[in-house]
Amino acid sequence: MSSDLIGTWLAATLTLAIFSFLYRDNPLYRAAEHVYVGISAGFAVIYAWAFDVYPMLVESFKVHLGAKNYFEAYILIIPALLGVAMLLRSIPKLTWISRWPISFTIGIGAGLGLIAAIQGYLLPQIFDTLRPLININNAIIYIGVITTLTYFYFSREHKGLTGTVARIGIIFIMVAFGASFGYTVMARVSLLIGRFYFLFHDWLPLIR
Amino acid sequence: MPITWTIGILVSGLIAPPESLLLRDNPNDQGRAIFISWVCPQTESITGFRIFRACSLPGKFIALNRELIIGTEYLDSDTMLCDGVPYYYFIRVYSAYDSVDSPVSGPVVSSAQWFNTDRINVLVLAIIINGLFIFYLLRARHNTRMFIRKINGLDAIDEALGRATEMGKPVLFSFGLGYITDMVVIAALPILRRIASKTAQYAVRLIVPNSDPLVMTTAQETVKEAYTEAGRPDLYNQDNISFLTSDQFGYAAGVDGIILREKPGAIFWLGYFYAESLIMAETGHSIGAIQLAGTTETTQLPFFVAACDYTMIGEEIYAASCYLKPEPIMLGTIKGEDFIKFLLIILISSTVFLGTAGRLLANEAPFLNNLFMAIVNWFIPKS
Amino acid sequence: MLYRTGPLILVFGTALLLIIAFFIPHKPFGDLEARFLNWYAIISGFTFLLGLDSLARHHLIKIVRREKGWFYSLLLVTSLFGTLFWGLYSWIRYASPFALNAPFMWLYKFMIIPLQATMFATLAFFIFSAAYRAFRVRNLAATLLLIAACMVMLGNVPIGSSIWAGISWLIHQIFPNTNLEILKRWELFAAAKDWLMAIPQAAAGRGIGIGLALGGIAMSLRIILGIERTYLSS
Repeated sequence: MSSDLIGTWLAATLTLAIFSFLYRDNPLYRAAEHVYVGISAGFAVIYAWAFDVYPMLVESFKVHLGAKNYFEAYILIIPALLGVAMLLRSIPKLTWISRWPISFTIGIGAGLGLIAAIQGYLLPQIFDTLRPLININNAIIYIGVITTLTYFYFSREHKGLTGTVARIGIIFIMVAFGASFGYTVMARVSLLIGRFYFLFHDWLPLIR
Repeated sequence: MPITWTIGILVSGLIAPPESLLLRDNPNDQGRAIFISWVCPQTESITGFRIFRACSLPGKFIALNRELIIGTEYLDSDTMLCDGVPYYYFIRVYSAYDSVDSPVSGPVVSSAQWFNTDRINVLVLAIIINGLFIFYLLRARHNTRMFIRKINGLDAIDEALGRATEMGKPVLFSFGLGYITDMVVIAALPILRRIASKTAQYAVRLIVPNSDPLVMTTAQETVKEAYTEAGRPDLYNQDNISFLTSDQFGYAAGVDGIILREKPGAIFWLGYFYAESLIMAETGHSIGAIQLAGTTETTQLPFFVAACDYTMIGEEIYAASCYLKPEPIMLGTIKGEDFIKFLLIILISSTVFLGTAGRLLANEAPFLNNLFMAIVNWFIPKS
Repeated sequence: MLYRTGPLILVFGTALLLIIAFFIPHKPFGDLEARFLNWYAIISGFTFLLGLDSLARHHLIKIVRREKGWFYSLLLVTSLFGTLFWGLYSWIRYASPFALNAPFMWLYKFMIIPLQATMFATLAFFIFSAAYRAFRVRNLAATLLLIAACMVMLGNVPIGSSIWAGISWLIHQIFPNTNLEILKRWELFAAAKDWLMAIPQAAAGRGIGIGLALGGIAMSLRIILGIERTYLSS
């Protein structure tokens, strides 16, 4: 129970310290910021090893070896070697070895990126645009998509017809950005209310 | 005799067994899954179904689901299921008081497929789009004259760096929370390289705080190479391209701290950003830095537009990345992109007009609407 | 070969395998994506040690050299190694660092969560300061952005409907023929919000999305073909 009390006081101090930054940079914010970076970096390392490296490499190797599934066990040597290759960067003469794991991860990004762009972006966006022009809203969507796409036309100067269409496109883009902006305001304000509730309810029981 | 029991006997006599038991290998998968569907003639007073499976006839049937299921479909992907083995199934339907079995159906064999037919639309688009890109790449090798329109903010890079140099202030570059597998991070690397070669020339300090260690190592290599190329390897300091934390707001807090204490003259936000974008960009603005942003995360673009001096919207960052490369071949894909956009505008327009005509002439020419629906359905992304 | 060609072939091979695997459910392709992503997570886990080295070294140097603000660096290093210590201790003592009663989770609950939540909450202030600045910029783009933002914001908050009730009353006073109840029910701000989000916002989002998809595919292809190789620093 006392550890919870200490925890609540600590959490409240850190909350006030972070908020103090809104006024100006000050020693309290600096301290909270450095503590935050330190703790969260340490947390990330433990998280990566507890949830990724240990179960996926060490435990998986043991389980497969136990089940006499030698292929699945020994293939894990590849990611282990790639991981160690990353660490060899620290030795100046062996820095080049880290190009291999980096290339492997970039290969994953490029392969998945190519497919995901079609499956996750292109198909649904085109599908949603194909609506018959039987009402004003469908017509606005059609004009919006076509003009926005024209704005992203790079190999022609935005003059004449292309220029006019692209200008309509940027109007759509700005209205869309404004709408997203306005839509987020309430969500952010409610987060702030949440923090004040913590301060004035959990820490100082002023609100019942 | 309790009344409920009496009613139970009466009701049990009313349950009809499930019919039309249909078994098939689950399509487009890695195997070891059988799809079962059935028809239940009666829906009232039924509490659920249980599925039974055996691998021979006559043989021992085992129940597959402990909890009764409500629907009339079931995907059997039990870990004991093997490919190539014939299986037999029956369904037991339950009411509150009784149960009835369907006739046994089978055999059915599961197998893995060599092609996922649900993804044929992705394959077709991938072939067409990449084919066109490769065509334009090949063409670009011989064609050195290519026009690319002005990209918002790209010209501002030099202006921002110049101002930071004049004021004797450092330059800050952030990839945000981007991973090395994000294409936008790879696209931001040539821009970082350009900035690094300028900061090396002007002898200005370049600070790159990172949230992902893999991105950090790649950034270190890129900056080091740029400094060497600019003839100032002595100015390169690995400590300036450091790791902060991978925690979203921890990163924001750390970057804010750097901004407040180092007071950079120019800040570049190029990569992947989430909600922290505005915290960092507003802090950057508060110290009077020139800020240039670019991200593919469209939800954050409004905030960058509001807080930064220049913002590359959407794919402009990809185009900017190509633009900075001296090779004409890089511009080939931009030409290709534009041609595909042109094709898409034609495709979308013609399909939309076809759909409109289909609706207006629904009685006179119903095939127009059918054709429209067929095209629309082709574009549905399936799993 | 080891410096340049090999890594380029590795990028090409990895990407091509993943693209092929997307269309082939049969073994060994079916689980290739999950397998490669696991490997990526493992490599990333090792790379975190480099990140740790970078962060710790950066601040240890400051402490040793007694540079300006060295005390804060000391706080950071203490927090970093303290967290690692408690994490490892909890891992050994409670079988998992994330066991609910482990001291490591105490750090998470009383330090990381409040810090995250407070940083996130500061956005409430920044969003208004950014909006205020957008208000002062007098060009068409900024004006459109702001009008749309105000409409959606008013449509999203309870006060929006009160304001609309006031406007309805005003209209009714000027044009007494109008029906006040019907005017009130019209809820202009809420209707404008729904329309802006569903129509122009969606339309521009789709245009940007299609462009991004094409840009992303082109970027991937340039990487796969080895045209874009800045990551190899060449």
